[in-house]
Amino acid sequence: MITLNWWALAPALIPAAGLILVLVLDALLPGRRRLPLAVGVLALLGAAASAVPGAIGSADTPARTLCLPASSGTGATGGECFWQAGPLSSTLQLSLLLATLAALLMMRDTRGPAAPEATSRGSETAIDVTLLLGSAAGGVAVAAAHDLGTWLVALELATLPVIALVARRGTRRAGHGSLSLLVTSLLSFALLVVGVALWLVATGDPTWSGAAVATAWADPARRAVLLVAVLALLAGIGFKLSAVPFHAWTPPAFAGAPLPVTALLAAASKIAAVAALVAMLTPFVGLAASGTHPHVLAFALGTLAVASMLVGTVVALRAGDIVRLLAWSTIAQGGWVLLPLIGLSTAGLRACAGYVMTYAAASLLAFAALSAVRRTASGEPGAVRELAAYRGLARSDPHVGGPLLLAMVTFAGLPPGILGLATKVVALASVIGAGLWPLAVVAVIAVVLGIAAYLRVVAVLLADPEPARAGRVVLAGGGTLWVLAAGTALLVVAGFVPQVLYGLT
Amino acid sequence: MLLLAVPLLTGTGLIVVGRRFSRYAAAWVALTAAALTAGAAGVVAWQRPTVDAAWLPEVGVRLRLGVDGISIPLVLLTAVIGVLVTALATGYVPGGGSPGTYAGCLLLVEGGALATFVAGDALLFFVAFELVLVPMWVLITRFGDPHDARARADAGQRFVLYTGAGSTLMLAGILLLVTWAGTSDLSALVAAGAGLPVGRQLTVALLLTVGLAVKVPVWPLHTWLPSAHTAAPTGGSVLLAAILLKMGTYGLIRLPFSVVPEGFVRISPWLAIAGGLGILWGSLVCLVERDLKRLIAYSSVAHMGFVIIAMASNTEAGLQAALIGNLAHGVISALLFVVVGGLKERWGSVDLDRSWPALREVAPHRGFALILGLAAALGLPGLAGFWGEFLAVLAAWHPADPMRIVVFRTVAVLAAVGGVLAAGYCLRVARLLWAGDAPTETSAAADAKGGARLDAAAGAGLDSETAAPLDSEAGEGLDSETVAPLDVETRGAERFVAGVLALLIITLGVAPWLVLDITHPAVLALLGGLP
Repeated sequence: MITLNWWALAPALIPAAGLILVLVLDALLPGRRRLPLAVGVLALLGAAASAVPGAIGSADTPARTLCLPASSGTGATGGECFWQAGPLSSTLQLSLLLATLAALLMMRDTRGPAAPEATSRGSETAIDVTLLLGSAAGGVAVAAAHDLGTWLVALELATLPVIALVARRGTRRAGHGSLSLLVTSLLSFALLVVGVALWLVATGDPTWSGAAVATAWADPARRAVLLVAVLALLAGIGFKLSAVPFHAWTPPAFAGAPLPVTALLAAASKIAAVAALVAMLTPFVGLAASGTHPHVLAFALGTLAVASMLVGTVVALRAGDIVRLLAWSTIAQGGWVLLPLIGLSTAGLRACAGYVMTYAAASLLAFAALSAVRRTASGEPGAVRELAAYRGLARSDPHVGGPLLLAMVTFAGLPPGILGLATKVVALASVIGAGLWPLAVVAVIAVVLGIAAYLRVVAVLLADPEPARAGRVVLAGGGTLWVLAAGTALLVVAGFVPQVLYGLT
Repeated sequence: MLLLAVPLLTGTGLIVVGRRFSRYAAAWVALTAAALTAGAAGVVAWQRPTVDAAWLPEVGVRLRLGVDGISIPLVLLTAVIGVLVTALATGYVPGGGSPGTYAGCLLLVEGGALATFVAGDALLFFVAFELVLVPMWVLITRFGDPHDARARADAGQRFVLYTGAGSTLMLAGILLLVTWAGTSDLSALVAAGAGLPVGRQLTVALLLTVGLAVKVPVWPLHTWLPSAHTAAPTGGSVLLAAILLKMGTYGLIRLPFSVVPEGFVRISPWLAIAGGLGILWGSLVCLVERDLKRLIAYSSVAHMGFVIIAMASNTEAGLQAALIGNLAHGVISALLFVVVGGLKERWGSVDLDRSWPALREVAPHRGFALILGLAAALGLPGLAGFWGEFLAVLAAWHPADPMRIVVFRTVAVLAAVGGVLAAGYCLRVARLLWAGDAPTETSAAADAKGGARLDAAAGAGLDSETAAPLDSEAGEGLDSETVAPLDVETRGAERFVAGVLALLIITLGVAPWLVLDITHPAVLALLGGLP
């Protein structure tokens, strides 16, 4: 008999329930715009609140549920739980839910009366909210899934709704972006399925179990299979994390999607990918701690990290379209997210989680700011793409340009973006702590290139606003303002007390 | 600690809400904040309080603040310079952004520098070190030399990238050190670092020294400094020379010198050679450099060379020399930049190949400040510059490591030659600007005309009011050779600032023990850790 603890499942169940409620309400009361939005906001807030106890809980007693009885005696799976949410998972869930909420708030503004798009009908909103909630439920489930099947399905559940969201705008660019995203996702899914299958062959265990991995690793024949499995999984997740060389979909998808969806892709999807990666790597952390370091895995992670950091930053240095610039910056930041994992230590996992959360907050801030800048008062949000059009934004409209500036310095890891600096320090510390300081030297180059790339934007934001002022209108809706205010407060406060960020994980 | 909170919070506040402030309001708010900070610095220097709180437990960092004999003089210097630059802002704010942003950036740089000097934790030191980058970059690129936007952007970018690269290298060194030593507390590191094997010490020392050498700057890594100084506004130049460079030398003493002494001893001959070459290189460039701000920047490279060789000698006298030389350079270069920056703001350029009116006649106060600064820079006894240079050469002559005596004595000779060259370039500047000897014949006619009028004006004891029509008349001349306005005398805040700095130079020169007594116990404690 499987045990069931509803409370532990609540972070995933509440968005799922909200999703159904939205669909039912839309069927009963069609054409209402506010209702699905309200349900979506409440569902995400409720789910986030239910993830808080897990996030501040102790690492020794994770919330476990869906457990097989220990005495069932089916070999290694006896007593295994299919749902395990320690503080690290719960914090990732929490940040993922909040990131989705931010995207929803931004979506409210772009679909709202501020943008007189013909498509802003009620059921359209309901569809958007449904897709968002579905993706959130998937992402939350990935973070806690302890068995391969749930993990795989949840990861796809987190991804597929986003493809639909990208495609829904119906423009040519959106079609292009969603197509590249779809192809990538299929490829990634195929790789993941192969990886999961090989993992099952190698370990004979359908869960992310440390003990099973250790036994498989000890046997040379099974070790080879396990390695292939891990590399396939890594490649599959590499697509989701847009790590070089699996990054090609990112710029077209970012540029093609409406900005709230881009923000979702940049923030929530990345958190989900990191959650998936953490689940996969946790058994290997135990392995590395017991003295057998899986060098091939570390090498693969290192290659991805270094290539992403360098390629992403160098291209960002030259990009003229600000959304593409942020897309390449996302690729570079993906490398930074991978960097602390190379050491395969618990500290590395936490450093990675801390980095991805900081990155996600800064990304949301940046995209929220971009979505407030329009060509004309009635123009399409986020249509102003060329960097030059943002000249002097921080001076003419500090409530929008200031957060954008803060996001840039956080990405660059320069004070006043102290949180960006602190997370970079922690990431580097875990690399150097693992004795891999040549990698740290590469990271130094990446930091310097990154400073050049991001300060280029900062310089534009601080320039004399007059020449570009006529070409833009800054119009931030209520939801976007909330995102801007909350994100800025988060980055500033957490910058002074970064232990909050790491205390949670 | 109030010391840090006041400048950082006020600075941020000014940037965020200060756009509506008028120039006076912004500058006076900043001046009040700086004065409060200076008061707090005095209290801190006297009482030596400490702060200890958890900050980033993930890597074992604590918010540990405190001062000792090495940091107190620098904290006081920073506080005084902070008051002076904000006082300058009450008189003149460069265009390019709101005055609130300008004053706010000044305060942020000051706060970051103070945080660097009081940080008691290696990683906190790094964070504070990074804190000054962006405000300084804003000062250079936004408020710098209004004539050439491209040069400004280039200078700012060069500054940020060089120092960013340096500090990230330093971060790698710090993290390596912290991992091996198991603590990031600077006082605990002194014991833990010295216990490391020599190879590890050498690696850490190399990373830290190269990283910090960019900031100092040590000879081959100095190329960001002249352009940054040329482009920066006066207040920025003063901060850069008087405070930011000190963060580099302070870091060198605090980290590689005291924490990994054996590693530092092994690289110190190379450091000394780089320092010696820096002295020669800087002095030689100064002999031919046309732009006066660039010239002073190169003379900074030379002066920091003295500090570096003093430090590299690993002796008590050397360390004392490094500390007082550091302080003296801070005051002297601040004075020179105030004088020259003021000239550049009025004349639009300080090209030494053009003929300028003699300062001793048109602006006796400014002229006196210039001469005093130059005299101190060439190391005249009785002024601040003397002790640092004299002790540095002495220390290099008797290094702690007798094996390398040849290297150090050669460097000492190089340094002495550099000192002679310094006399050469200082007198060159004095001749051209203070005495007003026209270097070229191209503007002889204009000169003769202007000079005659000038003599008449000066002879009659007339002031700028009568000189003003002369300007407009002469200004109708050639475009490239417009005759400079004659009213370049220091006024109000500027005169006050120059006066305070001149007083400090003389005080330090006559009574160096004021500083040496404070630093001496700390120096002995540091050297106690040496083999």
